[in-house]
Amino acid sequence: MISSLAKLGPHVFAARLKVLSLAAVAILAGCSANPIYTTTGVVLSNYSEGEATPYVLQMSDAQMACALGEGVDPLLYSFSRVTDAPDTTGSLLMLLAGNCAEYEAWEAELAYLRADYEGDVEAAKDAREVAKRLNALTAKRRYASFQRAMAAYEFDPGAEPLECPFLFTEQDEITFLLGLLTGMQAIVNDANSGAMAGVPRNIAPQAERAATCLDNEKWGGMPNAIRALVWLLLPDTRPALAPDPWQVLEHSRELAVEKGMRVPHALQAVAAETFGRPEKLEEAIASFAEADATIEVWDEYRLVDEVAAGVVRFSSDKHWTANYGYRTPQSFFGRMSPERQTENVETMNLDDLL
Amino acid sequence: MIHKSLAAMALVAAAPLASAQSVSMCVFDVIGANGDFYNFVKDYALEMKGHGVDFELKPYTDEGVAIGDFNAGQCDAVAATDIRIRPFNKFTGSISAVGALPTYDNLKTLLATLAQPKAAPLMKDNGYEVLGIIPVGAGYLFVNDRSIDTAGELAGKRMATLDYQKDAIHMVNFVKATVVPSDITNFAGKFNNGSVDTAYAPAFAYEALELYKGIGENGGVVDYPLAQLTLQMVARDDVLDDETAQKAREVAWNMFPQAMGLIEGQEAAIPEEKWVRIPEKDIRGYQEMFRENRIEMRDGLNGAPDVYHPKMMGLLSKIRCASNPSAAECTAGNRE
Repeated sequence: MISSLAKLGPHVFAARLKVLSLAAVAILAGCSANPIYTTTGVVLSNYSEGEATPYVLQMSDAQMACALGEGVDPLLYSFSRVTDAPDTTGSLLMLLAGNCAEYEAWEAELAYLRADYEGDVEAAKDAREVAKRLNALTAKRRYASFQRAMAAYEFDPGAEPLECPFLFTEQDEITFLLGLLTGMQAIVNDANSGAMAGVPRNIAPQAERAATCLDNEKWGGMPNAIRALVWLLLPDTRPALAPDPWQVLEHSRELAVEKGMRVPHALQAVAAETFGRPEKLEEAIASFAEADATIEVWDEYRLVDEVAAGVVRFSSDKHWTANYGYRTPQSFFGRMSPERQTENVETMNLDDLL
Repeated sequence: MIHKSLAAMALVAAAPLASAQSVSMCVFDVIGANGDFYNFVKDYALEMKGHGVDFELKPYTDEGVAIGDFNAGQCDAVAATDIRIRPFNKFTGSISAVGALPTYDNLKTLLATLAQPKAAPLMKDNGYEVLGIIPVGAGYLFVNDRSIDTAGELAGKRMATLDYQKDAIHMVNFVKATVVPSDITNFAGKFNNGSVDTAYAPAFAYEALELYKGIGENGGVVDYPLAQLTLQMVARDDVLDDETAQKAREVAWNMFPQAMGLIEGQEAAIPEEKWVRIPEKDIRGYQEMFRENRIEMRDGLNGAPDVYHPKMMGLLSKIRCASNPSAAECTAGNRE
């Protein structure tokens, strides 16, 4: 019996190998895709999530990060043609690409304010049109980022009752949280574009509900700051016993400085502009600048603090440009006017030298 | 000898170079400075700068507070919906008369008519002057049950009604529905949690205020414009000279296509299957029902509040009959 099996052995083995190889190719290739592409997609996707994302999140150069988003997103996300869409990394890359568009929109907005200040109506109109177009581009990218973040965790933001997604790692949590934040920003950008991007406005109440899925203390007050902003926008969404939204923002700012990631400051600045509260804008900018001296930025998420810094600086620049015609001088960041603090400074009598 | 510096608080800011006339404006938008209409007013303000007026805009998310601050002299001008504008100009404040402008084409004709220099005297009333009118979209009826598709079906239904909108309260009582007093910030919540059966709002609210939740599986949006809502800019009469005020109104009128683009986008966000279409013969019945009520609210008859300006009712009737001359109202003995 053993000898007969030995005789059959080589033929059976070869046939099985052939069948197995075909099966492996079929599995890897799906129906039509090149198996190498699929494998590359899986490898790249896993590498991005496991290595590149943590690396990028601790970068301090927000400009380089945005360039990465614009450059790499189309390549990485193109693998959704041959394997599962890489939505987690895809949402972050699109978020960064959105930041790139927004940086240009900010410059156009400041150019508009400068021209408006100088009374040059034609230049102001031109710059405002550029800002609108760039805001539309930013809104489209951010809406895509929001959708990918929701898809990544199979989360239906409109579902009632709310079903929180399974977030296995800290990186999953921050990806989801940034997705919500990006959705909110998309609405603001769309409004500033003249509604050119058509971002659905119900993202705001959806983000308010979804933010309850995250630990507020752990994430430095960011989830509650998102909720407070929505409560201000849509008072109906505020639970009956919830504290005043501005108080929530203040508490969130404190938590943010403790944790080292100052997103709530940026959210308060946006809220203050939206609701015409100059004293709250001043508070957000001043407390951000003040924290610069003492804060220990959360190392793993340094980029998030940097991006928040950009938002706060832009709010300050808008105020300065609208009121004085130029952006915030470096040494005045944290203050709202060019009032010099030179009073009560001791000087010497020069009489005996003259 | 030591002494203190005399140079206290040296201001280095230079005054703006432009010499445009500065006019502060309280601007209402449900979502403040990041709202679509606030941004629209920003465009208007920029355009006006070219005509020598420097509007300084201040956002308000509470319309009542915006009007209050205007009344208290904290702003020279205000941008608010026409229901709130009625105390300052009853004529333009009557544009949102119930069922008076059934199409956007009719609205276009009206706003073009009012932007003419000839209409200028009608823009002044009571020490105030209208500086522009911008459409914000028709108000539609949102229902939690599609079978509420006739006025008769509204009897006994609870309807979220703006507590300061006297004409709406009158209409709700007329159709024997129950007024549930509400304001802009809470009507959506009431509709969505089922504490009212119906509410009225522009299409904007469908998505932003999640009215689709209140609509659910069985409800819809009745495809008949109950009223045309507009945002109106009003200033104290002495703020701008007549020529500049006329220019301001023309600037606002020139922005009509931009505003309609915004409104069309908002209406397109309501899925086709959510619209409740009503038969033409029913529409004719409603037009007559609204017309009779408008006459009552023009003349203050049968306990109705006299909130509508007779001249505006006459103009609106003229516009409707120009576009639909065979309508019964055009030959009625009691034409508006």
